[in-house]
Amino acid sequence: MSTALNRRTFVSAAVSIAGATAMTPLLSACGGGSQHKTGANTAQGLKSALPAYVPSTNLKADIPSVAGGPDAATDPGFLSYPASPVATVSGVPGKGGSYTAVTPLWGTVPPVGNSFYQAMNKALGVNLTIKPADGNNYNTIIPTMTAAKKLPDWIQLPSWWDSNFNVGELAGTQLADLTPYLSGDNIKKYPNLAAIPTAAWRVGAWDDKIYGIPSFSTGFAIAGTTFYRRDILESRGITADQVTSAADLMSLGKELTNAKSGVWAFDDVWTYLFTFFGAPLNWKVDNGKLVYKYETPEFLEALDWHYRLANSGYMHPDALAGDFANAATRFYAGKVLISGGGTGGWNLSDYQSGTAANKNYRRGSFNAFAADGKSTPQFYMGASTSILSYLNANLKPDQIEELLSVANYLAAPYGSAEYTMVNFGVEGVHHTRQNGVPTFTDEGKKDAQPTTYAFLASSPSVISNPGADIVTKDYAAWQAANVKNLVKPPFWGMNITMPQEMATANAAQAVEDTIKDCYHGKKKVSDVQAAIATWKTNGGGDRFTQWMTTNVLDKYGTGQ
Amino acid sequence: MSTARAETARRPPRLNWRIRLRRDKSLLLMTVPAVVLLLAFNYLPLFGLATAFQDYDPLVGVWHSDWVGFDQFRQLFADPLFWESMKNTLYLSFVQLILFFPIPIALAILLNSVLSERLRNFIQSVVYLPHFFSWVLTITIFQQMLGGAGALNLFLRQHNMGVWDIMTNPHTFALLVTGQAVWKEAGWGIIVFLAALAGINNELYEAAAADGAGRFRRMWHITLPSLRGVVVLMLVLRLGNALSVGFEQFLIQRVAVGHDSADVLDTFSFYYGIATGNYSYGAAAGLFKSVISLLLIWGANRLAHAFGEDGLYRK
Repeated sequence: MSTALNRRTFVSAAVSIAGATAMTPLLSACGGGSQHKTGANTAQGLKSALPAYVPSTNLKADIPSVAGGPDAATDPGFLSYPASPVATVSGVPGKGGSYTAVTPLWGTVPPVGNSFYQAMNKALGVNLTIKPADGNNYNTIIPTMTAAKKLPDWIQLPSWWDSNFNVGELAGTQLADLTPYLSGDNIKKYPNLAAIPTAAWRVGAWDDKIYGIPSFSTGFAIAGTTFYRRDILESRGITADQVTSAADLMSLGKELTNAKSGVWAFDDVWTYLFTFFGAPLNWKVDNGKLVYKYETPEFLEALDWHYRLANSGYMHPDALAGDFANAATRFYAGKVLISGGGTGGWNLSDYQSGTAANKNYRRGSFNAFAADGKSTPQFYMGASTSILSYLNANLKPDQIEELLSVANYLAAPYGSAEYTMVNFGVEGVHHTRQNGVPTFTDEGKKDAQPTTYAFLASSPSVISNPGADIVTKDYAAWQAANVKNLVKPPFWGMNITMPQEMATANAAQAVEDTIKDCYHGKKKVSDVQAAIATWKTNGGGDRFTQWMTTNVLDKYGTGQ
Repeated sequence: MSTARAETARRPPRLNWRIRLRRDKSLLLMTVPAVVLLLAFNYLPLFGLATAFQDYDPLVGVWHSDWVGFDQFRQLFADPLFWESMKNTLYLSFVQLILFFPIPIALAILLNSVLSERLRNFIQSVVYLPHFFSWVLTITIFQQMLGGAGALNLFLRQHNMGVWDIMTNPHTFALLVTGQAVWKEAGWGIIVFLAALAGINNELYEAAAADGAGRFRRMWHITLPSLRGVVVLMLVLRLGNALSVGFEQFLIQRVAVGHDSADVLDTFSFYYGIATGNYSYGAAAGLFKSVISLLLIWGANRLAHAFGEDGLYRK
């Protein structure tokens, strides 16, 4: 997953756009055209289409999953890799069909027809040609295929680009409806797919039908959190549970900043912190009326705090200058000690980069807190996955069944024989066991390491960082401490396609720009209020709220 | 009238096109690859301009998108942010014209007066080098040196002299970007002027010196008039490009100084067109910019001709 997020760290300015779109996976835009259907699902219709959920019992996690509210649970943690992986699929899933698949890849493309692909084809019993395409340009590569109606048999479409790809319109025209094969108990034919939680299937559902096959689903889907340098803060006697309000956080700024030696307490924290002030992630339903986040006093309060932070001298000047690309470097080097970030970054490679800069490096995250120190702390849940693969609408039913069997193989649970094959290749060729941990050989690094098959289907996420148990334990413990605070925002897990005018109003570029200037200390909160007022009247804001009310809220409810 | 007739009379008679083709065929052949490139990458994409008059949907393509006439332009002209970025573009262009344009000329004249060939080559290489840096790198260097956590401010802070906000001050942004442009491009800009200087007949200088003209009189009466043609040509090109002050430089520093100081027409098209999936809106802004640029370049060229210079082509 971390590779998927790295694509955003190229040019600092571009990053904020991608970040903003990734933040709102619930609302996706369509390019317009003549059809203006919303593509949203009805509660009843979706219920009959969604597959049954049969959790896998194959492997016991070292740190078991902890359940939170509905659809919320922590990812199970694994401290060791099973010595003798269990097989979950009997026989060969395929019947010898030939197919092509396209997946995005953020990394070096493996050689065509390499030994890993060959071994996989043998194990899968199909002739599946994997064609990884450059992840950084994926959103411009795919529309040329859809425009020419030449999609491959199997394709991965990350949901943060749903609007670029116009998945709502592709569903049913170019992408195959999988409902007849997967709805209800039908999925039990594919036990590994049945072990993917229901919430993940909702992300790939349009118009009450199932289209997408989810990868890396999780019950702990949040946009991100506020991280801190646990090693440095603890050496000064500061622990995360001492921070229970925005005032506590601000006073940490004074304590930790030492500008003369080039250390500032804060990097950018706005993106993952503003909801702690009680502001909605996007929408809030107030007495049956839909209210956008811009129009809530809590949102302005959050802005005011961040404006003060930017002018307090506790924020790193490079962060204020919008240099997002070097944020990780600043954090590793201890030049900033508190920084917002996605949870995907809390992993083995982060540990390796961090300890390379400082051997004591330890990442920690503050627990959910309410800015006023009194209200109920909460994290808003995002969609359960953003990685979905789709089958071509031109495939015949038996071909679809064959590929679903293949998907079932690819979705085998962590530590199984199939999982080992998909993720590490053949033992002795692509990996060897070192201290029990599958470790890539040179051939494996070249052929099997890049994420290819796992982007077509994979089992639910687990926390596993072989060689860095401290990361697994820290992250699992933090998830367990916060899972009770996970709440669903309105329209959670609903796919909404909107016409271009509404999508533009939703993007609210002029307001978002002013907000950024505000939390970087260049614009006052009153400037943002002025931008919001303009957006409401001239930017389509009021029409957008009206559209969402009549087309989504009144017809489908809030999806909860 | 009479002079015009005399000029026509002086021109050689027009040859038959077949004869001319035979005479110039090797030259024409050599230009074919360049013409093909120009057609494929500059003229063919012009058809995309059609999207400015549509409600373009990438999924259905240009052929099937809805036509909306001048709707996008109507919206554009009513958009205060568009006029804001227009204002920024013109202001930045003006500042660069005053502060940037003369520098390569001065540099070229200075460099031309250096007699040691080795020293001259060395200086030339040093001032050319930054041109090959990308904007990302250039701005990173500026940030490392002059930024809030950069070398200069760290020094000031350690000696209790306060800090000097250079990189994130919206009020001095025009000077900052011009400074960056000078650092990066001024060296590269001297090439064309050096070439013009090399073309000046040395006998003119010798004759002037023999008549007792000093260094400055020679520069005033020989060097500068000889450069006039190329200076005017560069000025025409610069004016024609007045609305293209750059893209990456502003894209990267937009967050640092805020969008209302850093947005130029090109970043406007990007953020309010492409980035929000509103392609037609971005295309409309781009087309408007191109039309104005064409008018500017035409006007500047007319002006050059009026002053008796060649401009872009000989009249």
